[in-house]
Amino acid sequence: MLKRRKTLALLALLGAPTAFLLVFFMGPLVIMAIYSWLTPGLYGGVEWELFHLNYGRILGWANTRYDQFDPVYLTIFLRSLRLAALTVLSALVICYPAAFWISRMRPARRNLALFAITLPFFVSLIVRLFAWVLILRPTGFLNQALMGLGLIETPLEIIYTDAAVIIGMTYIFIPFMFLPLYASVEKLDPALIEASGDLGATRLQTFLRVILPATAPGIAAGAVITFIPALGNFIVPSVLGGAKVLMIGNLIEQQFLSARNWPFGAALAMLLMAGVLILLMAQLRLARAAQGEPRR
Amino acid sequence: MTRTMTGLLTSIALVPCAAAAQGQLNLYNWGDYINPAVLERFTDETGIEVTLDTYGSNEEMLAKIQAGATGYDIVFPSVHMHDIMFQLGLLAETDIGSHPDFDNIDPQFVRAQTDPDAEYCLPYAWGNVGIVYNKALAGDISGWSDFFALGEDGKKIILLDDLRETIGIGHIMNGTSVNSTDETEVEAAAQYVIDHVDGVSAFSYDSIPLVQSGDVAAAHWYVGANIFVQEAPDTLGYIIPEEGATMYQEDMCVLESAPNKENAIRFLEFYLQPEIAALNVEQQLNGTPNVPALDLIPGRIADNPTIYPPQDMIDKLQIFTDLGRDLQLYNREWTRIKTAQ
Repeated sequence: MLKRRKTLALLALLGAPTAFLLVFFMGPLVIMAIYSWLTPGLYGGVEWELFHLNYGRILGWANTRYDQFDPVYLTIFLRSLRLAALTVLSALVICYPAAFWISRMRPARRNLALFAITLPFFVSLIVRLFAWVLILRPTGFLNQALMGLGLIETPLEIIYTDAAVIIGMTYIFIPFMFLPLYASVEKLDPALIEASGDLGATRLQTFLRVILPATAPGIAAGAVITFIPALGNFIVPSVLGGAKVLMIGNLIEQQFLSARNWPFGAALAMLLMAGVLILLMAQLRLARAAQGEPRR
Repeated sequence: MTRTMTGLLTSIALVPCAAAAQGQLNLYNWGDYINPAVLERFTDETGIEVTLDTYGSNEEMLAKIQAGATGYDIVFPSVHMHDIMFQLGLLAETDIGSHPDFDNIDPQFVRAQTDPDAEYCLPYAWGNVGIVYNKALAGDISGWSDFFALGEDGKKIILLDDLRETIGIGHIMNGTSVNSTDETEVEAAAQYVIDHVDGVSAFSYDSIPLVQSGDVAAAHWYVGANIFVQEAPDTLGYIIPEEGATMYQEDMCVLESAPNKENAIRFLEFYLQPEIAALNVEQQLNGTPNVPALDLIPGRIADNPTIYPPQDMIDKLQIFTDLGRDLQLYNREWTRIKTAQ
């Protein structure tokens, strides 16, 4: 009797968030999935008629006046993958040593450092990105500083390039990468490192055999939650890439707004999601395989 | 007119302290596209509180209204969007065309095909889309060929992040209509832009500060650039390209879903007064269809040929019409332009 009451209470408690997720998370996804198979409405929206050319445009079988296959969409997918991967990599390179450094600070300083890393969240993203325009443009702070120091003679062309997009995305996703990394680095027992040294391992061996495997879950978590939003990001390419570095997010936004082709935008979004899911599953599989590997 | 990203991102509420609240009026307008003094004057005279939300493009506004955004009374669509919104049944009849003061409006500005007698909307403002340039970097430029030549010289130029405007330049240079729905003409127009894309450093609305600082030599921008030219006449200049250009016109429309329809119609009538239209132009530096207002506008604006161009230049300005499904031809080419480098 008591057990049953507990089950009921649990159901009631979990029911609300489950219903919330079903309605507000799955709902929009289902709408997008359906829209991607419908005919575009003349002025946005959809007409309730089955239409497969939204996918045909991307994957190769569309050839009508309004819907033609163009490899450019796959090119944009690949470019987005590349930029997102480079963003993850550069965020990791910055955050990994920083996590070790901060985890060894005195508590008061450590809290201050952690606060400083999350500080950018308190300022609007747009304001911060426009600040980067001021930093990166030819007459901006970065170029003036470098030229003042005599390191370069002509301004570096950074703004409105891939590099600017990677810098901007790395900047905004650093906290996402840092926090899971920090969590796993902090848990790392210094005794393990000492033991490894005592047993005759070199520094490199200690890093590769002890530190890296122990912090791998943090790296994986940080990489995933940085990679996914970076892949779909559209505001950084639009502000720092000058809308010339077109990423998949920009392409989708263009379909919903200026091009008034919602189903095509939905189809792009669905394929993006499918791509992300495949990558995640591959990553999961690799991680499992790595864990299952016998340690020598 | 400043169509900037701010339109996307800000929503400012202007709530002047009116004597007694006589109700509300909610405007949904392009960013920085109405003189706040006009709204203050309206509140002073009527006691109606005005709020202002902003958008960055016709499509953004339409998408929001179509998605069921309610609470807005007045929107400011471009003429082709006025037609679309009429066809979608989103606009309310106001009979503004029968108001005695409507005689103030130059009839050539009643442009929307679906609203030939201005039974719905009031022509609000118009202007051209030309080139703003840095005098030291660009020298004396007079048109699109000079503009793209800057890019070939290794200087930087910026185009608007707008598919119709940007492909429109190609149409103008090829001598085809900016409203062409001929596949080969659209492709050729896009190809013109692609052939000159090397010097184009970005597609952006936020180019003026970069032109001013000398980071780019010139940018494709709206006549509203005159606001900045006026502040820095030694650095900046604005021209209507000699080869021709596009023009825009926005109309002031009351939404069918407007919660304060009466107040909205009152605002349209208020805006028919020449003093009010002139007050708006004083800050906006754009064109008004209100004829008697022209006599009240300061000479520096009324005599500026880039704001009120001579008739032979007006004849070279093309206005966008709604392309319906054929917009997809432009959409495809636009993606091609953005990935060509």
